Amino acid sequence: MASELTMMSDSTAESESGGMERRTVLKAVGGSAIAVALAGCGELLEDEEDPLEEAEVPDEPIEAGLQTFLEGAPAVLGVQAEYGAETAVRRINENDGIAGRQIDLTVVEEGEEALENYQEFVEAGMDVTFGPISSGNHEAMVPEVNDQGVINVATDGTVTTLYEEDHPPEDNQYSFRFQNHDVMEALAAAVEATELLGADEIETYAGINPGYAFGFDEQELFSAGIEQLADAELVYEGFPDLGTDDMSTHIEEVNSAEPDVLFSSAWGGDATLLLEQGHGAGMFDNIELLVGPVLYGSANDLSEALVDGPIRSGSRNFYWDQPSVDRWDPGRELFEEVQEEYDVVPTAHFMSGYGAVTAWATAAEKAVRILGGWPEQEQLADILVNHGFYTPAGYHTMGPDHQGYSNAHFGELTWSDDLDAAILEDVNVYDPKNVSPPQGQTSRDWIADWD
Amino acid sequence: MSRIPFVEERNGESIVRVPLTRGLGLTPVQAVLVLVGIVLLFGLPFFSGLVGLSWERLFRGILFGIAAVGLNLLLRHTELVSFGHAAFFGSGAYGVAVLAAHYDVSEGLLLLLGAVLIGTLVAIIIGYFVAGYVDIYFALLTLAFNQVMFATVFRSGFFNYNDGLQVRIGGDRPSLFGLEWTTLGYNLVLYYTTIVLLLVMLLGMWKLINSPFGRALDAIGQDRTRARFIGIPVERYVWISFTISGLYGAFAGGVYALLRLHVQPEPTLYVFVSGEILFMAILGGFTTLVGPLIGGIVLVYLLEAARFWVTYYHALTGLVLLAIVFFMPKGIVGSLPSIGAALAHRRHDPGLVREDIRGIAAAMRRAVDRAITTVRIIVFGVN
Repeated sequence: MASELTMMSDSTAESESGGMERRTVLKAVGGSAIAVALAGCGELLEDEEDPLEEAEVPDEPIEAGLQTFLEGAPAVLGVQAEYGAETAVRRINENDGIAGRQIDLTVVEEGEEALENYQEFVEAGMDVTFGPISSGNHEAMVPEVNDQGVINVATDGTVTTLYEEDHPPEDNQYSFRFQNHDVMEALAAAVEATELLGADEIETYAGINPGYAFGFDEQELFSAGIEQLADAELVYEGFPDLGTDDMSTHIEEVNSAEPDVLFSSAWGGDATLLLEQGHGAGMFDNIELLVGPVLYGSANDLSEALVDGPIRSGSRNFYWDQPSVDRWDPGRELFEEVQEEYDVVPTAHFMSGYGAVTAWATAAEKAVRILGGWPEQEQLADILVNHGFYTPAGYHTMGPDHQGYSNAHFGELTWSDDLDAAILEDVNVYDPKNVSPPQGQTSRDWIADWD
Repeated sequence: MSRIPFVEERNGESIVRVPLTRGLGLTPVQAVLVLVGIVLLFGLPFFSGLVGLSWERLFRGILFGIAAVGLNLLLRHTELVSFGHAAFFGSGAYGVAVLAAHYDVSEGLLLLLGAVLIGTLVAIIIGYFVAGYVDIYFALLTLAFNQVMFATVFRSGFFNYNDGLQVRIGGDRPSLFGLEWTTLGYNLVLYYTTIVLLLVMLLGMWKLINSPFGRALDAIGQDRTRARFIGIPVERYVWISFTISGLYGAFAGGVYALLRLHVQPEPTLYVFVSGEILFMAILGGFTTLVGPLIGGIVLVYLLEAARFWVTYYHALTGLVLLAIVFFMPKGIVGSLPSIGAALAHRRHDPGLVREDIRGIAAAMRRAVDRAITTVRIIVFGVN
């Protein structure tokens, strides 16, 4: 199985994307203004005829609602998603909207009331809704989305069982999710550890994960993966409360167990706390490697001292410097735009917002082209299934299971003096088909079936 | 007067008798308000949209309000402050969810019955341990029990952690009265069932607090030692009232689960929810029977809707609540009599309005004077 889980190397990805010709890009993204603008290739569009001019579409703007975390600890992720969605909407509107329709985006705090927020969006006549961030909120919303019939493209809410087991495609028409689901980053972490240390060198592993559904899900999937790939033994697993102010007992347990690999899906303040207390207690002398799928989500809160040590972090389906911005204009332009507008380093959750809007917007434009008029929700939902589109992060598809599939990124967490921020180096890019099961199979069954 | 149905003279005053209650009555004004309230409740799904209100949100407010009515039995009569009433609301909600998700019970009314039984059982157990305590000890104990339940559910795979449980059987919502309904039909049937039960529960609570048992609770609230001396079994009565109080919460939580069709720990079991239920009682007026219900509707509406109006919606909610606490210390319903009396005075003597305006103008003038003095001191260093 290990041979099947090969990764697409850094250099391969860059040569493919760097060598694209203008015509190829236009053809690949659908040749329309919005698709090209959202792919970050707007400058290629001069003198391009717009085939959508003849379409009969309403004059009024598209009303879109985004719910995300704007306050409290989860705002570390939520505000990035807001920036991402706003950036995509800005680019769409600057390029004359979707078939001439501008998007009017309403952003609201997700809180614990995502279901109620969605209902409010529908009552307010929204054409489309985006978000939420929380998996529990997402779980609550899916049946309501199908009852109400107004498409929702979730930015995150990434628990793997959602579409695999709880809401299979036959029961789900209008709910979609853009960001990679948990199995893709948990398995990428397992492969990453195995490739780096060697399967024979990993005898033991431990986990410190936040004590809620996401943390349990990630730990279970990582365990399944690393035990299959390296036959490693679990020596400790701890689940500190989400948003805890002390992880020292868990770190002491890790220090005494001395695992070869420590896995942690800690995010936000938990990620910085784990690194702070880990350094303080000498944890990095007692482990060979720390792999964390979302450590880089805290990129804007990390310091040089914290990223010291054998740490590899994931960055879900987007790392801003992959392919390198020196050679990839769409990536560079996006990075510069984000720096200028928001003065932050964009993280994977930025792409959660950007990609969710892009998925829907490119599908809507495709639908208008096919139908010659504005699509009904049902038609648009049909078009979103198997829909492929580009962002500066590369090519994405919305699978038959309504789950978005994009490359997964993992790299060495380190410090850039030039940027004065944490960065990832030596980034590996994982093809979705290598870190997620074939359609119709659950991740747990798929991993268990590996020989 | 006595020829008008339900109206009789008592001590020289007209009293409106209420069916099913003996010896209880309402003043004509109260009777009119009650009738208006009932008409509003029954008409809510049809006219709330006309004034731009979401009736499903009002419905959720009513549910939390029912929990607050239950809590108010303790707060108003035994003078015990419970910081853990989300335990019963959450038990009711999770009772429905567990029966639907793990035992495939598909009839909504059965689910609700199960929820009430489970929630009441939880109240009996917690009540047994806390009935002997008062003041801060009672508050902390109820809070601790609540938090233990929250932590257990949050970290338990049986309850699906914080992702919660669906109240759907094979993807379908439960039946109501043995029938499958459309989304709107389901919500309407659930709403009207709840309203009928709510009226029964309010009537029951009204009878209860005016019964000898209710008077005994008042005595316990005023002085436990004296209550004990006159032969009231204090702990047992507190235990019983705690259980009844929990039953109201469990019923509200059960309907909440049937309405939302998905139950998570944070919106149902978290201690902040307990604080909100307590605040609803105070906001609406804990010295009244229906005040907590109104408090529930107002607070839930603010908490859910304000985020769509302003970015800093917590600040708006806080300001509204501060205004009510400062200017209407008896709560919304509790302040109605004094507001009504003040308006009546002004109707009889319009000159009072002029005095009001003069008073407001004088207050504003004083405020401006103070501001000018302050600015002068800041700018010139002296007054």
